[in-house]
Amino acid sequence: MGAPRLTRRAFLRLLLLAGIGGGLAFAERRTQPAGLRQFLTWLLRGWRRRVEPPATVALGASLSYDEALLRDALMALWDQAGMPDVAGKRVLVKPNLIEWIEGRPLVTAPEVVGAILDVLRARGAAEIVVGEGPGFRRDAGPVVEHSGLAAVLARRGIPFIDLNYDDPRPVPARDGWFPGQPRLWLPRHVVEADLIVSAAKLKTHHWAGVTLSLKNLFGVVPGIRYGWPKNMLHVNGLTPSILGLRQSMPPVVSVIDGIVGMEGDGPLFGTPVPHGVLLVGADPLAVDVIGARLMGFEPEEIEHLHWGIWAGVGQGVHIEVRGASLEALGRRYQRPPK
Amino acid sequence: MGMPGEPSARNARAFLTRSQNPDGGWGYRPGSPSATEPTGAALVALGPDPEAAPAVERARRWLEAAQRPDGGWGLSREDPESHWMTAWGILGLARLNPHAPEVARGVRWLIELPVIRIEAAELTAEVSRTLRIDPRLRGWPWRPGEASWVEPTALALLALDAASVVETHRDRIAEAVGYLVDRRCVGGGWNFGNPFMLGANLPPRPHPTAWALLALRILSPQAIRPEDVTALRAEMYRDGGAMALALGQLALTAIGIEEPEARERLQRQQAPDGSWESSPYVTALSALALNGGWPWAPRG
Repeated sequence: MGAPRLTRRAFLRLLLLAGIGGGLAFAERRTQPAGLRQFLTWLLRGWRRRVEPPATVALGASLSYDEALLRDALMALWDQAGMPDVAGKRVLVKPNLIEWIEGRPLVTAPEVVGAILDVLRARGAAEIVVGEGPGFRRDAGPVVEHSGLAAVLARRGIPFIDLNYDDPRPVPARDGWFPGQPRLWLPRHVVEADLIVSAAKLKTHHWAGVTLSLKNLFGVVPGIRYGWPKNMLHVNGLTPSILGLRQSMPPVVSVIDGIVGMEGDGPLFGTPVPHGVLLVGADPLAVDVIGARLMGFEPEEIEHLHWGIWAGVGQGVHIEVRGASLEALGRRYQRPPK
Repeated sequence: MGMPGEPSARNARAFLTRSQNPDGGWGYRPGSPSATEPTGAALVALGPDPEAAPAVERARRWLEAAQRPDGGWGLSREDPESHWMTAWGILGLARLNPHAPEVARGVRWLIELPVIRIEAAELTAEVSRTLRIDPRLRGWPWRPGEASWVEPTALALLALDAASVVETHRDRIAEAVGYLVDRRCVGGGWNFGNPFMLGANLPPRPHPTAWALLALRILSPQAIRPEDVTALRAEMYRDGGAMALALGQLALTAIGIEEPEARERLQRQQAPDGSWESSPYVTALSALALNGGWPWAPRG
């Protein structure tokens, strides 16, 4: 019997298989560190978002920090935005308390936090806490005190949790944004929350372009595990860290305080912008896209918004704005230094 | 006749004893899971106090059990990664016996820890322009493989001093001291890391400033400038929190400066249960601040 001969058809088949294998290997290499499978998951999810219904963002205008007016306005925006039912739920409100510098609007105004707490109470939330882990403070207490938030919380009997010290627990790092880190350590109150309200400030940011409700999530990373100011997030990359935190946490909704925003050298040394706006929405990516547009940025200019839309981390393509007009309220904030 | 802070310190020690977890460690709040930093700090504060001997012994065992196979410590026994808390593991155990084998293993981990050091000329120029630092100098990072920061660097230096290995690792320590000097803010004191960012000088902060001064006091006292002390005083009062006041008082005492106002303000913040802010960690620092200061290892 003679040796089997390689037919022309078999040869072409082999060639095709080798081509497919080589192509896959090349694609796998090109998509590192996430890998081809993760890349395709993001890509397909991003495409799917384009045929899904729009997200809703409610926009309030001409607002001041008058507590009573703010509460009424937020209540109306909450309904317009179709926020999730909070009755019987454990809710963590996470303001931006990055640092306290006298005379600079760095932090989410305590009046806005107070209004959020009143809305949550009125809607039957079972357990409400306010928590933050400042990146530039070893001890959050003085920021809470000096900013006026301590008085707001005391009047309502709501506890403050310094998330830097809140008994961190490991949770799965989801959606492939933290390559090589299968787990993240997050504070107990974050892990146990049914819902997190990211109560952010409308500011420019010298590294991220803007800091809104997604970037605000950096404050949940516990200092006692990762240090101050959370260097791990910068080592992993700002964009994957912002998106990865969002995906690894319980459901997050957004409220953004733009009554006085900040332009220029944010998040610490920028200039106040009296803007008079408040944003509310159940999809943080959609809210941040509208927040960026209010500041005169297109989402494509902000890396984490661009990639968040591409990977379908939220609905960033179809957004319905209710309440005030985005066009009428849009400004052009001074860009942060490079 | 006792020290002025003695009743406060005694109540603080009583709080520490009461708030110790059954497993021998302390958490950041009474009842919280035991963690390396508060346990190390409580051991440093209690030291070889005969009245606290049983609590100290249980804490020693907790720290020994929490040491990871690589010689470092994580946040807790469950943490699978060694990081900056290693300094606190060493500080706690070295307070009882600087020559314990666990201390030596911790020191080895600290010394062998990989730290980012930027040496390529084009990168050092860019980093120097953006942050006004010398990125070739290594201190210690919060986590392995990351950049150096002031507080973990100062803590590592204090741990090496407590373990009596300063002479053995003279070059590494000199580099880290150089790192601290390089990161000093314009006008004195320290921020968390770089003193400048994208066109703006960063302000000093009380906690890293106090830790840096404690480390420099024992390893390079001539590097301390009067403006560092001025910055610390201003920032500790501006902050006003117990942690800032306790650390500030510890640093000032180490430099030989009496600061009755800090002592009084700290005492006023002590809760009836003997604690500061119900925190074993802050209480341990406050107890040290009110009762003799940082316990330096014997020289020689």
